[in-house]
Amino acid sequence: MNGTGKQPQRPPAPVGIFKPEAIRDIAEGMGISTLPEGVASALASDVEYRIHQIVEEAVRFMRHARRTTLTTGDIDQALRVLNIEPLYGHTSHSHPPFRRANVMVPGQAAVYFVEDTEIDFDKVLHEEKVFLPKPVSWKAHWLAVEGVQPMIPENPPQARNEAGKTASPAPAATTRTTKTGTAANKKQAARHVLSRELQLYYNRLTASLLPQGSDSTKRAAALASLRNDAGLQALLPYLVRWVGERVVHALKTNPGADADGKVLEIMLEVLAALLDNPALFVEPYLHQMLPPVLSALLTASLPQERSSKLRKTAAQIVSRLLTAHSTTYPSLSPRLTKTLLVALLAQGKTSGTREGAVRGLTGIGKEAVRMGLISAGGLQLLSSEPPDSPVVSAVLDALRALYPPGTTPQPPPLTAADAMLLRQTCGDAVANALLRDTEWASGVAAQIREPDDQPSGSLASSGALESTQAALTMLENMDMEAVAASMGVDVPDDFEMVDSMDATMEQVA
Amino acid sequence: MSVTPGSSNTPSASSPIDLSQDDQFSKEDTMVLEYLRKRGLKQAEQELREQLAAAGPSTDSKATTVSTAELVKKNAPAIPRSATDRSNSLADPNISKDAISVVVSPLLGTQMGSLGLANLMNAVGGVEDALATGPTDRHDGFRDLEAWVDGSLDMYRPEFRPILFPIFCHFYLDLVEQGLKDAALDFFRTFSPSLATHHLPTLRHLQSLSIPSHVGQDELARRFRNEKYLLRMSRSGFRLLVGWLTEGTGGEAAGAGDGFTGESSRRGRSAVMQVVNNHVTVEVLPSTGSTANAAVNWEENTGLVSALIPDGSGRESAPGVSAPQAFNSIRKDLRLGLPAMEDNLRDEVERTLREESMLNGEAVNPGGRYDPNSLPRPFAPPPNGHPAPTSSEQLPMPPQFKTVDVRREVEKIRDARKRIRLDPAGYSAEADLNGLDRTGMVRARALPSICAYTFHDANDGIACSTFSQDTSILAAGFSESYIRLWNIKGEKLKGMKNEFQLSSIKDSNSLKRVRERGGNTTRKLIGHSGPVYSLSFDPLTGSAAPPKHLLSASADATVRLWSLDTMTNLVAYRGHQNPVWDVEWSPMGIYFATASRDRTARLWSTDRSTALRIYAGHQSDVDCVRFHPNALYLATGSSDNTCRLWDVQKGSCVRVFLGHQGAITSMAMTGDGRYLASAGEDLAINLWDLGSGRRVKKMTGHTGLIHSLAFSAESTLLVSGSADWTVRCWDVKAPGGLPTKRGAQDDIAMVDGFGLASRRVPATADAGALPTGGLNDGPAEQNTETTDLLATFPTKRTPIINVQFTPRNLCLVSGSVASGTGDNR
Repeated sequence: MNGTGKQPQRPPAPVGIFKPEAIRDIAEGMGISTLPEGVASALASDVEYRIHQIVEEAVRFMRHARRTTLTTGDIDQALRVLNIEPLYGHTSHSHPPFRRANVMVPGQAAVYFVEDTEIDFDKVLHEEKVFLPKPVSWKAHWLAVEGVQPMIPENPPQARNEAGKTASPAPAATTRTTKTGTAANKKQAARHVLSRELQLYYNRLTASLLPQGSDSTKRAAALASLRNDAGLQALLPYLVRWVGERVVHALKTNPGADADGKVLEIMLEVLAALLDNPALFVEPYLHQMLPPVLSALLTASLPQERSSKLRKTAAQIVSRLLTAHSTTYPSLSPRLTKTLLVALLAQGKTSGTREGAVRGLTGIGKEAVRMGLISAGGLQLLSSEPPDSPVVSAVLDALRALYPPGTTPQPPPLTAADAMLLRQTCGDAVANALLRDTEWASGVAAQIREPDDQPSGSLASSGALESTQAALTMLENMDMEAVAASMGVDVPDDFEMVDSMDATMEQVA
Repeated sequence: MSVTPGSSNTPSASSPIDLSQDDQFSKEDTMVLEYLRKRGLKQAEQELREQLAAAGPSTDSKATTVSTAELVKKNAPAIPRSATDRSNSLADPNISKDAISVVVSPLLGTQMGSLGLANLMNAVGGVEDALATGPTDRHDGFRDLEAWVDGSLDMYRPEFRPILFPIFCHFYLDLVEQGLKDAALDFFRTFSPSLATHHLPTLRHLQSLSIPSHVGQDELARRFRNEKYLLRMSRSGFRLLVGWLTEGTGGEAAGAGDGFTGESSRRGRSAVMQVVNNHVTVEVLPSTGSTANAAVNWEENTGLVSALIPDGSGRESAPGVSAPQAFNSIRKDLRLGLPAMEDNLRDEVERTLREESMLNGEAVNPGGRYDPNSLPRPFAPPPNGHPAPTSSEQLPMPPQFKTVDVRREVEKIRDARKRIRLDPAGYSAEADLNGLDRTGMVRARALPSICAYTFHDANDGIACSTFSQDTSILAAGFSESYIRLWNIKGEKLKGMKNEFQLSSIKDSNSLKRVRERGGNTTRKLIGHSGPVYSLSFDPLTGSAAPPKHLLSASADATVRLWSLDTMTNLVAYRGHQNPVWDVEWSPMGIYFATASRDRTARLWSTDRSTALRIYAGHQSDVDCVRFHPNALYLATGSSDNTCRLWDVQKGSCVRVFLGHQGAITSMAMTGDGRYLASAGEDLAINLWDLGSGRRVKKMTGHTGLIHSLAFSAESTLLVSGSADWTVRCWDVKAPGGLPTKRGAQDDIAMVDGFGLASRRVPATADAGALPTGGLNDGPAEQNTETTDLLATFPTKRTPIINVQFTPRNLCLVSGSVASGTGDNR
């Protein structure tokens, strides 16, 4: 009685691959309708154990056949050595295509079945040629020659080559030529095919982005897709190139026209969206993304009504890009600063360019603003601007970044000396705006007076105009090689970046 | 019919047969009895009744089908055979008090007189202990043990860590045997992840055992039950363990509430103690030695080794020979030296060489004189510190040498002259110390040139392949039961015409006439009826000429000898009962050895159709077989995770190599006859010193099964080909070990082989989701490359199934392109 009392206490549903329900189903299929719970459970466990046994045996056959996939042949062999009749009719070469049938009964598990393909006899009989499968053949190649793996198509590309890791790259500065050589190789190796779907997507996307192509809702959808879709990595180089081309086209053909301004705006939005997309790995393409942004920022003439907005957007993009990627590319921010400083300080630049430069510096950060406006004498250069010029508002924005405007309602009065200094350096337009908020003004004046306490004081010198010249010469002499070497990676690419930036600027100018 | 746990096994519970007698007989019998009674044939009825009763209630002589009730009974929890047998006294907690009294009362009766009260109390206490250990106690006990091991001093942890595994296995088996399937599964799921890094295959197997009858049937479970699990511990460590087991001292449970003082933990400890007492042998070492050393050696001295160690022959067959080292040391020294060339043959070879150098001496050697000392390798083989065998000890060979022998030896010397020297010594060390780019010169000196032969359109069909020694023929064995030969040099492989009279062949011209006309550079050899798993070209011609014969081993349990002259099958050697996994010619030809699933290796000679020697002793399949270069010894690798070295003549096992954690997949012997390299399913390559039987080092880094190993001719470089699509080169002489750059903590984990490494298993990996993609997706994949790995050469999706060195040290590898798109790495 003890035992029967225990029976219900036994685990009703043991865990395993084979469930007692399956056993009961099979039993019902064989006409045994009353199979006790304990028997079903024990049978399920036993079946599982037997299958383990067979598979374990089959794995040995697999291992000795030096394969890593278990085939039906292995199972057959295992059954044979275990003295069980093998299952005939299954071959390794035709994987049974199990199909899932949707069962409409709720609560019922899915049912899988093997589909029988229909063979059209007429077709088979009238088929002209039956090709024999290709016979096994071999091909020899050098996997390694004296311990070095040759770069031939038969060997896997270097990227996956762990042996390449051991041959550590020599210092970058000395082997520029070889590096460009490998870069060329890399480009050759990276040739790949864009899938049809992506091509279609690309065409649709570019068409809907352009202003003549579609309305604003479609465009918003396209931008949202760029911002969020994860599968765009393969398209990224194409998109970046397309943006670059459109920007150059817009700036070259008719810089003043409103339509082109619109194009520029959209292009900047596209870039911003690409940078926003968390799934994209944009770092390899930064050097291609920067020229369009800088061009929009620094170009001499933009459509009047859009100019300010465009430059602001571009500056924002620069700022975002730097916050995200300056850790990977430590030299990115100095380079950008340099480009912008040149645009700000060089002779004969239009006020538009200078406005852009100031906005760009604001985007880079406080240090850059101090360097450009105060140490290098940018303020003085811009002091003659008329008060309603956009340059003035840009400068004021920059100064806001440099020193936050006052918040106290009763600010301490500005000393006369400071007011004088401000007027001298900033010019009347800016100074007037500054003097309305005395706390801000005194803060800015303090910054102007003591440029030496800043970390980048090496660039500072006393005389404003001399400092401009000094800064420029210093920038010219800045040892790009050393900077590049410190980065260690992508030297040719970065040079390309600088070159292309310069080229764009020349075009624009 | 009630299934009372006590009634099935306990002898005292005698179920009265007479009462339920008729119920126990089958229907037919009852009818017969009824009939006899009706007729009044009392005597006949009585006799039949007695006979039936004697045959037993569950007599299968008539009813062959097992009723469902029987099945239930069979799978009902197994109950201790007797209470005094504490080895298996793992009683069901649900057993009633009556049962206890039943069990105890005979004790009272039998032991009262002789043993006295104290013993009685002990016995009763033992019974109580046994009854008290329920599933939760095992759970708690194991948890406490693990906490104690992890909380022990760093110094002892590597010693203690191995104890977890046998305790785990026995607890699991206990639970299964008691029919507590859910508890067993729960136990498995909770504790297996921390053990999975090192014991994955065993764990997988254990997981499949889930009903009591399996425990009795399964081979692994039986081994666990019947054999002692060997552990090694220092004296102080063992004392600590005993202290914990008895008093619960010395460890602190991490957040375990009442810790070790509670009643439940005491019961848990007693459960652990039972296993330790009954199934574990602790070998106490006099001193701890260096812990690092102990940590490295755990895999050589831990496990169910007793069955793996052959019985010591004669004098010391005592069970004291439990460790492989002990076994290896009591076997006398081996004659591992290489035999010198026969005098006559050497004279002939010298003469040939002299003539040759005279002929083209002007061109090659300005001195114009043959100077034997100028040879890079003199005729005498290099001494390796072991005594060389005398000719009487060697396998009997034909008394006279032939032309082909001279040609082979001459070619051998020529090869030695032209050999590319590979000397990786200093290669890796230099690079590590100086951080310098390795110069081409050094690399060229250290690393071989590798030529890869890639098979296309084989669809996973190629099970093995090999190159002939003169690199003229490439052979591949297929799963589709045939062998295909290719002539690499592009010459035609010609057989003989179908009908010809042997008597018509008198000279080379008439022989040429019976050769096939056309021919192809490839040829199929058909004869086997199962996948061909191994091929071996005969070494008789050496590198001087194409080989004449080929041996093939197949799943159809035969080995076949093929003539490459006629391209036909000459002999089928039958004898193995099961698939033959491996075949290799002896270094001098004529003899060959096979390894089979029937757990034996056999020695054959080509002219006899039965085996000359059978080498039995492995506990599982013999997976591979390799001859020692002097043909006196034979190495076998088996699925019981050991390699053995056999005396070819005597047929006795002379060395056991323990240390792999998986089946052996491949082996190689050095040319100087001192070392054996073996690769296992644990993805490690072990290097063994044959003389002492010790492990020299362990090389890891592969991420897939290692299909093939080969030493360079100087034995300085080892090349391995693997299913992870790489060929790797290893420095044989370097000390090896894992890199120490990754921080001390990490390093300890790897050196322990246990403690911290096991914690890297993600906590989410429960038992149901043990990694199923194979052994190679372990979590510790990133940091397994030992420092003696010189280079890794990846291929394009080609698992390498064969690596080989030519006599001139060019490395040849072959494999067929993986057909599927799935990345199996």
